[in-house]
Amino acid sequence: MSDKFQAFMILGALVLLVIIFVLLKHGKMTVKYSLLWLCLSLVLLVFALFPYVVYVLRDLMGVEMPVNLVFMLMFCFVLLVLLSLSIAISQLAEKSKRLTQANAILEKRVRELEKALGTPTDNTPDH
Amino acid sequence: MQTKAKILVLIPCYNEEANIVKTVERLRELCPQVDYLVINDCSTDRSAALLKEHGYEYLDLPVNLGIGGGVQCGYVYAVANDYDVTVQMDGDGQHDPAYLMDIVTPVLNGELDMCIGSRFIRHEGFQTSFMRRVGIRFLSGMIFLLCGQRLLDVTSGFRATGRAMTAYFARNYAADYPEPESNLAACLAGFRVGEAPVIMQERQGGVSSISSFKSAYYMIKVSLSLIIDRLSIKKIHYRS
Repeated sequence: MSDKFQAFMILGALVLLVIIFVLLKHGKMTVKYSLLWLCLSLVLLVFALFPYVVYVLRDLMGVEMPVNLVFMLMFCFVLLVLLSLSIAISQLAEKSKRLTQANAILEKRVRELEKALGTPTDNTPDH
Repeated sequence: MQTKAKILVLIPCYNEEANIVKTVERLRELCPQVDYLVINDCSTDRSAALLKEHGYEYLDLPVNLGIGGGVQCGYVYAVANDYDVTVQMDGDGQHDPAYLMDIVTPVLNGELDMCIGSRFIRHEGFQTSFMRRVGIRFLSGMIFLLCGQRLLDVTSGFRATGRAMTAYFARNYAADYPEPESNLAACLAGFRVGEAPVIMQERQGGVSSISSFKSAYYMIKVSLSLIIDRLSIKKIHYRS
């Protein structure tokens, strides 16, 4: 691995780490979802600082080019992140469904209460 | 005779301005003893205005949930309001309230936990298109393979459920095309499911929620859901 490439790797990993911390600091991302990203950037940083780790892994897995191993691992990581996002979306969908249902049932109760009390409703459709 | 049983009819409604008033009027005329609840799933036509105008009982979902989430909302309402039997009936005039008591009675008498109104027992009335019958036959066979229960009209949305079944559906109900999946789930969870013959009409107006374009997606999605249900509900069953 050339020194130039190593410098780029270190820089890239550091930038990713900083971005994640800034997002966390400003509350744009919750810690729960940041953990996977933090893992990814830390592993990248380790690879960039100590290329020896990559060479050992390459020999263990029988990959020709060390850089291909890095790409492959990164791709696996991204897949993991995407999968976790799909799970998060499914959970959110279920929660928003429950909220919608509870809201609709409450809305009916309010409508009936207003009717019983004789309060004029503000959303009468115009004809 | 249990004449004082509380019965609720759920009528899911998504862009049914052409049929909804007729459906509700006919239900009120033929079955004045039952309560009904129209579930307006965020219709984009005048359905909501019509419901309000006529002073019908309705739920207004603030965002579109699809047929599964909408009907489930009705089951949640039925549990909260302590209904003995809950019936699901389409808002498009396909299901005739004249047969309502035919599917309610087995549930009311405690013979079944869920009774499905089936077109294919006596083969009378509107039998739907050939391709759909093939699809329904396939799903019926699949449910038979997965749980050993023979149900003929597995996509029928005309179904009566007892208290326990209603509570189960209020907790777990499939999202997109829920009928076959919830039928299988009910069988697997150990509920007694059966069918009663009814005569269905062709839809009176508007468009069906399942277009021919989507039917391939429908078959794949439902088949996959059925298999997943088979795998997951077995666990629930063993745990309880």
